[in-house]
Amino acid sequence: MTSRASAAPPSRGFWKTAAALLHEDTRSPLTARLAAAATHLSGASRCAIFLRDKESWVRADPGGDDWAPRLPDPAARAAVRAEGALWIPLESEGEVHGFLGLEGVDETEPELGRSLGLLLGALLGANRFSRMVKDAGFELKTRLLELESLYDLGLSLAGQLDLPSLADEVLFRSISLTDARRGTLVLFQESGEVLLERNIGGEILPTEALATWRLPEGEAVINNAAATAPTAGVRSATCEKCLAIGISVSGRRLGVLAVADKESRDGSVIDFTATDARLLSLFANQAAAAIETARLHREAIEKERLDRELELAAAIQRELLPHTLPIVAGVEVAAASVPTRQVGGDYYDFFPLSRGRLGFLIADVSGKGVPAALLVSTVHAAVHLQIDLSETITDLVSRIDRHLQRYAAARKFLTLFFGLIEPDTGLLRYVSAGHNPALLLRRFGGIERLDSTGVPVGILPNAVWTERTVAMEPGDLVCLYTDGVTEAVNEREEEFGMERLTRILGGASAMSAEQVCMEALAQVAEFARGMPQYDDQTMLVVRRT
Amino acid sequence: MSETCKVAVERRGDVALLWTDGYINNQGGEEIAREAYAQIGNGARGLVMNLEKTKIVNSIGISILIEVLEKVMDRKGVLAFCNLTPTIDKTFRIMGLAQYASIYANEEEALKAVSVQLASP
Repeated sequence: MTSRASAAPPSRGFWKTAAALLHEDTRSPLTARLAAAATHLSGASRCAIFLRDKESWVRADPGGDDWAPRLPDPAARAAVRAEGALWIPLESEGEVHGFLGLEGVDETEPELGRSLGLLLGALLGANRFSRMVKDAGFELKTRLLELESLYDLGLSLAGQLDLPSLADEVLFRSISLTDARRGTLVLFQESGEVLLERNIGGEILPTEALATWRLPEGEAVINNAAATAPTAGVRSATCEKCLAIGISVSGRRLGVLAVADKESRDGSVIDFTATDARLLSLFANQAAAAIETARLHREAIEKERLDRELELAAAIQRELLPHTLPIVAGVEVAAASVPTRQVGGDYYDFFPLSRGRLGFLIADVSGKGVPAALLVSTVHAAVHLQIDLSETITDLVSRIDRHLQRYAAARKFLTLFFGLIEPDTGLLRYVSAGHNPALLLRRFGGIERLDSTGVPVGILPNAVWTERTVAMEPGDLVCLYTDGVTEAVNEREEEFGMERLTRILGGASAMSAEQVCMEALAQVAEFARGMPQYDDQTMLVVRRT
Repeated sequence: MSETCKVAVERRGDVALLWTDGYINNQGGEEIAREAYAQIGNGARGLVMNLEKTKIVNSIGISILIEVLEKVMDRKGVLAFCNLTPTIDKTFRIMGLAQYASIYANEEEALKAVSVQLASP
């Protein structure tokens, strides 16, 4: 052991040596460098450094020998001798940062101990201060990151209309900024069923439990005892600590956002804080607004798609109706159709046949929109294909029925009225497959109903229809219509009805077929007074001249 | 993205290429640090971390990456990141990682830049 000759303060050489030793290997931990410097400068045989770790004192130098001293007195504020060593408090700015234990040093050199205490204390204090500054800088940057993330999330969500991407964005940021190990975001449909579920790091709750989890809205719930106590009434079997919030808009529950198990640098799980709760609440609020925007956008797209579909259906239907009316000796014809916004699937047609005869048809197919328009298209094709092959009207209707059974989608059917008039004789043959009663207006007054002669087409396999015959005198008029006419409603939800139609026809003896048609539809429009109608209104009139 | 972060490593001369897959939190950061320190111990002077399969980094993960960066800088080495999501890119810039470690769009650019930096005196 080296002993010093006097108790004088250490010379300039001491400090130079200390500085050189401390800067010799800056890659080593500070405590290792301090221990090496203290051993060299004091000439001690062995050295130990104790530092405070929360509430206790722990040995902080690398050790490496079999010396395992206990810190004798943490309250000591002056050098003491114990455990065969000299124990020097390492102090700066009135605060003890640690203790230096030196084995085998000379008791007669108090200045050496004091100088080492000051040197190491100052260095530990500076190091602690440097760490505090560094931690504060990191903390400050973390807060800045939170603010930036909120701003970025707002911007990002404002332009994000894809729900899965939106959910990922919210969940990733929530987990990241709360230092959670896992997170869950679930969105519900209006029916309460799960629309979308995202889990990172494993699920917090099973899906069925998430669906019934009634969390408060607006402010996140912190449960730092989630391992033993339920969070908002629900217990998670998988997490220790939990932070969760309900996502809602105007009281409507949209989903749940939850994170669990906030981690620390040493790998342990620590408590969620009020800052975490505030952050998650802000994320949930932003998510709610974005989810609502995405939903409205989806609805707008769906409406646009429906509008396009309706335009297409209307175009198909317009194309299938006759562009001109036939001119046939002995008869006068008229027809008109008022489509509704939904496109109801009404169809009419005329078929000039041999020997001056005229076939005419009105039909109303089931359904609306494109499916109805396609069914009209199928009926149109069937009638035009089969009319020349059919020997009778019942044969024609049966052929149309078989065609539909073969080519149309299941559960599709139509009502139709097919009439065949021989102008020479005035004989009207007809089949009505479940259609509204046609009205026969006699020239000298009186209206007769031509009722249905069978079931709608396409509804029953092997159905049979009956053909009926009625004689039309010159001036007699037959009026066919679809249920959109008689079932048109006004603002009092009253239907136009058969009675009003019959009354109009009763005063139409002197009118042309076209005038009858126009007058009836005009009165229906007058009755409805702009109320949106559910079904197309179609009318076909044939008068024997 | 994996439930737990996985790290794959390939050595290219004195540069080690690390691919991460998953959440860079305490577990993920420690995994990266373990592989990085092993490579540094084996003489790697440059580290390129490809984060293509990482979508989330938390503050613990960032503090571990800063520790790795400090270790690399102590040894006069170079650390570069590539294939970052825009969110992680911004996070690294705010948290100061980008001050001493470069960020590149892709692996090829990162490897080329690190090799040039290591070759310069």
